[in-house]
Amino acid sequence: MSVPTLRVRQVGWRPPAGPDVLQNVSIDVRPNEFVAIMGRNGAGKSTLLDVIAGLRQPTHGGVTLAGRPLDEWHPTERARVLAHLPQMLRADLSMRAEALVLMGRYPHAARWFESDEDLRIAHEVMERCECLEFRQRTLSTLSGGERQRVYLAACLAQQASALLLDEPATFLDVDQQLQCFSVVRAEADRGAACMAVTHDVNLALTFCTRLVVLADRGIAKDVSVEAALDDPSWLRAFSSRVSIERGPSGTWVRYQ
Amino acid sequence: MLVRRVSAPAWIGGSAALFMLAACVLPFIGPSRLDWARVWGSQDPDWSILLNLRLSRTLLGLFAGGALALAGALFQSMLRDALATPYTLGVSTGASLGAVIAIAFDWHTVAGIAGIWGGALIGAGLILFVVMGAATRHGQLSSSSLLLAGIAINSVCAALILLVHSLTGISQSFAISRWLIGGLDAVERPTLMLYVAIVLVTSALVIRQARQWNLLAVGEAWAATRGAQVRRALSTGYLAGSVLAAATVALTGPIGFVGLVVPHLLRGRLGGDDRLLMPCSFLLGGVLLAGCDAIGRAILAPAEIPAGAITAFIGGPYLIWMIRHGGTR
Repeated sequence: MSVPTLRVRQVGWRPPAGPDVLQNVSIDVRPNEFVAIMGRNGAGKSTLLDVIAGLRQPTHGGVTLAGRPLDEWHPTERARVLAHLPQMLRADLSMRAEALVLMGRYPHAARWFESDEDLRIAHEVMERCECLEFRQRTLSTLSGGERQRVYLAACLAQQASALLLDEPATFLDVDQQLQCFSVVRAEADRGAACMAVTHDVNLALTFCTRLVVLADRGIAKDVSVEAALDDPSWLRAFSSRVSIERGPSGTWVRYQ
Repeated sequence: MLVRRVSAPAWIGGSAALFMLAACVLPFIGPSRLDWARVWGSQDPDWSILLNLRLSRTLLGLFAGGALALAGALFQSMLRDALATPYTLGVSTGASLGAVIAIAFDWHTVAGIAGIWGGALIGAGLILFVVMGAATRHGQLSSSSLLLAGIAINSVCAALILLVHSLTGISQSFAISRWLIGGLDAVERPTLMLYVAIVLVTSALVIRQARQWNLLAVGEAWAATRGAQVRRALSTGYLAGSVLAAATVALTGPIGFVGLVVPHLLRGRLGGDDRLLMPCSFLLGGVLLAGCDAIGRAILAPAEIPAGAITAFIGGPYLIWMIRHGGTR
């Protein structure tokens, strides 16, 4: 089996005042994996992603990225290997979409303006995220979903080998949700280690390779998608009103 | 709406040309007409009026306007607040408090430095540390805590200014009111040179980091995972913006609106990329302030309208216009 891109070891996190949010969380994420981080509101999903992205210092344990502890990386070097899409991003930004996507190229060169090669990469990822058509538009004039696609493109422009996405599909219409998750899956298929926080059981089962369910400050379940379909007991961590139905035409998630 | 696209070099070059043009032309505007022949022959008084009064005042206007507009653009990006100005974080109110105290106690010169200047710099420096200390929690600094601490301390300083003002005699009170409007005056050459040097060096440092301000304008987490060192960026940005604002306020008083209006107007035209916005804000902010000052000394000659009043005349209506026309840009 390949070497894990991300190795999370006994990570705990506690806010300066208050009880533990995470305790003793360990996960390895390898190239070609697309892990869905799931769980109820307040289960620590975003906190876990923030710790892995280096945005929060864990109070216990640690994270290694490509075999090297996270805090030993220089921020610029790390940004070439690890990309993170925060949950909430500014909506009133007076920057052109293309300029925002080009920010993903900042860690790759110290030069002031991006090269033609950077621009080519930016256009290529915008094409994949179906937002190339608004590359000259100001972000504040885009709809929430359109803006989300631009932000996703900016993450892909980093060409990182670890991709951390915090609810990337929340504001998207159904078609764009599918598009978003298939773009991330394609990144995984190319060798990236991907993690996405999502509440959408269907999307997770369709596009991800593995599910990690957080509950009670730790990992309640860590299974491959195939195993998750065979044994749907993990669904109880979310709600008693969700079940998985399997029939000749495929699998679907039923809400009651 | 599509952003009108003009290439970056054209904007920066055009702004620089306007800046140069203003430096050459504006000194000739003023209450008394200068005689060309005498100026050409370096004959007094026309020659020394041009050189010592008008040129020094124009240069002060150009660099003060530039410093304020750049500091405004910097704080707007750094704090992700479209209405941030060089004065939002309290430094200039601190400088004003120092200057007002110096006027109230008649400190004309202290240790060879003009009392108002010294008072303003000391006031700004003290406020810098107070805001920084108040904004840092658990060793963390965020733009929202900086903004809140700045606004809180701003209002305390404003209250202290009112207090000092109300306790002074009539002549100091007039001097304080006049100073608080803000305006340009000819300054002595060594002071001007020192000021220009401070502004140029600080501005170059700020503009060099434009990519970092772009990242911070999106968000702190965004910046951190794209290679920026957020805490260091926030503290250096706050320090640099404060140096620009404090040095300027000390010489000109708190001139309003340049720092808000110029970056805003340009952001609408150029988009929010600080690599283009910051140099253009600096150059055109200078042109605006020096131009307002030239208008102020010509329009009611021989009386003078302080530049601070003219910029507020332009700034107030602009703000209303911005609110009415969807000021989200």
